Amino acid sequence: MSEYGMRRVGEGRQAIPFLLPTILIMCAINLYPFINGMVRSLHSFRIMSQEFTYTGLRNFRLLLQDELFWRAFLNSMTWVATCISAQFVLSFVLALVLNSRELIARRVVRTLALIPWAMPPVVVALTWRYMLADRGPLNALLGVLGVANPPSWLLDPSVALWACILVTVWMNIPFMTVMLLAGLQSVERSLYEAAAIDGANFLQTTLRVTLPAIKKVALVVVTLMSIWTFNMFDIVFVLTNGGPGNASITLPLFAYQNAFFYYQMGYAAAVGIVMMACLLLLIVFYIRQVLE
Amino acid sequence: MRLSPTKRVLVNLVALVYIVVLVFPVVLMFLNAIRTEAEIIQFPVALPHVVTTENFVEIFRESSFMDNLWNSFSVSALTVCLTIIVAAPAGYAMSRFRFRGKRLFSAWLLATQAFPGIIMVLGVFMLFRTYGLLNTRLGLVIMHTSFSVPFSVWLLKGYFDGIPAALEEAAMIDGCTHLAALVRIILPLSVPGLLAVATFSFLLSWNEFFFSLVINRAERLLTLPVFLSRFLGVGGMVRWGPLSAAALLATIPALVLFMLGQRYLVSGLTGGAIK
Repeated sequence: MSEYGMRRVGEGRQAIPFLLPTILIMCAINLYPFINGMVRSLHSFRIMSQEFTYTGLRNFRLLLQDELFWRAFLNSMTWVATCISAQFVLSFVLALVLNSRELIARRVVRTLALIPWAMPPVVVALTWRYMLADRGPLNALLGVLGVANPPSWLLDPSVALWACILVTVWMNIPFMTVMLLAGLQSVERSLYEAAAIDGANFLQTTLRVTLPAIKKVALVVVTLMSIWTFNMFDIVFVLTNGGPGNASITLPLFAYQNAFFYYQMGYAAAVGIVMMACLLLLIVFYIRQVLE
Repeated sequence: MRLSPTKRVLVNLVALVYIVVLVFPVVLMFLNAIRTEAEIIQFPVALPHVVTTENFVEIFRESSFMDNLWNSFSVSALTVCLTIIVAAPAGYAMSRFRFRGKRLFSAWLLATQAFPGIIMVLGVFMLFRTYGLLNTRLGLVIMHTSFSVPFSVWLLKGYFDGIPAALEEAAMIDGCTHLAALVRIILPLSVPGLLAVATFSFLLSWNEFFFSLVINRAERLLTLPVFLSRFLGVGGMVRWGPLSAAALLATIPALVLFMLGQRYLVSGLTGGAIK
């Protein structure tokens, strides 16, 4: 595709004015704050003097000894791994259904299935805060179905994180489905026909034909969603605010609380740097996949 | 392929289950907007016995909702304009020019989507404080634009790649500059791509929560997501009626725009951005 572009003779210096607005705004709101954050992570903020003092790697050493950090770290790992695998399986099934010729009213089904994507995440979190309330709709329905002691979703420390995961998966299914569906639609029919002639059943066709055919799209979208999910703040903040008793705290929330409740800006920046380090491999992989 | 009746039933059944799970919570939540507080507490899953408008009356009369609605709308609309002004030339340069550092620039654009908000937010806060942009609409617009630009550049580059360069070459022989070629020839041919960018950046700005929460503390300048999150008191008591009414009104514009723009957005996402 870019062969068109290569043939054209816009060269070096001519490109600068076109790129300048983007470069300016990205330097101001992206590069500068990023470098600033890195520098901050080596400083401690003193509330008394309102100043940052250089403390070297102290923030990182403290972080390693902070039990709450480790809980947030483990929660974040559980959160990303569970969200992404559940999302992938559920979205893949939905994409297969939407791609099936046997589906009635495909356009309507597809449009309805995208609704969670169109909602502001804060509204999604509020909706589920209502759904999952102790005497809310979900437990009322479970009661009707004969569940004697439905869990107290958002107030039980052993359940709260899973409730957050459930909501995030629900919200992210549409986006992933759309991407996988686009992958499925580009698979040539003849491949399926060949598989059918060879007598492959549904499972064999899925594992041997469909999945390999959409591998690239799937990899890119899984990587991207892992990064986004890892950085996600709003769902947990609104749903449980990390509670009860920090049971569902994740890294972004941990950093936020340090920065804006305890005024430990340097410490919070250090958390950000650790998050960035965790993401580094994924980011490099993502960039390589897309630029290839 | 043969169509077996069992498969047909199965496929449609699964689809039905998905639709119920994905849509039912939304319907339940938004029904609360026209139910009374007593009913909401007493019957969690039920149609309204009495339809009431008092929730809407309350949020309009007793909160800053109108201001916040207007604020969200103007910030989102301005973000769309600024995003297009900034991203279209860059997308053009990416598509048509050869320049040093192009790969690095592409990688940077992609990488920005992955930066954890917490590293950025402190720097943005300090920068905005220095330039007096805290608690201003302009600050929000600039910030949201910086979030939407990288993806928009990428999307438009993909779109421009599909437009034959011969068109501009002809114009340039007649003495047309690159900028004129972009504005007069390329952009009019890129309406679907621009609609994708507009949908994307409007929704991004409309939905954005974390940075708006930190940067903006003046009540009248809160965007809707932050306004909504403030309904949750410290004690955990929530009045679901007015909250649902406000949430419904905050969702309708996003939903309408999404339904109108999803065709472009989806083809932009799957075509240009994630190949």
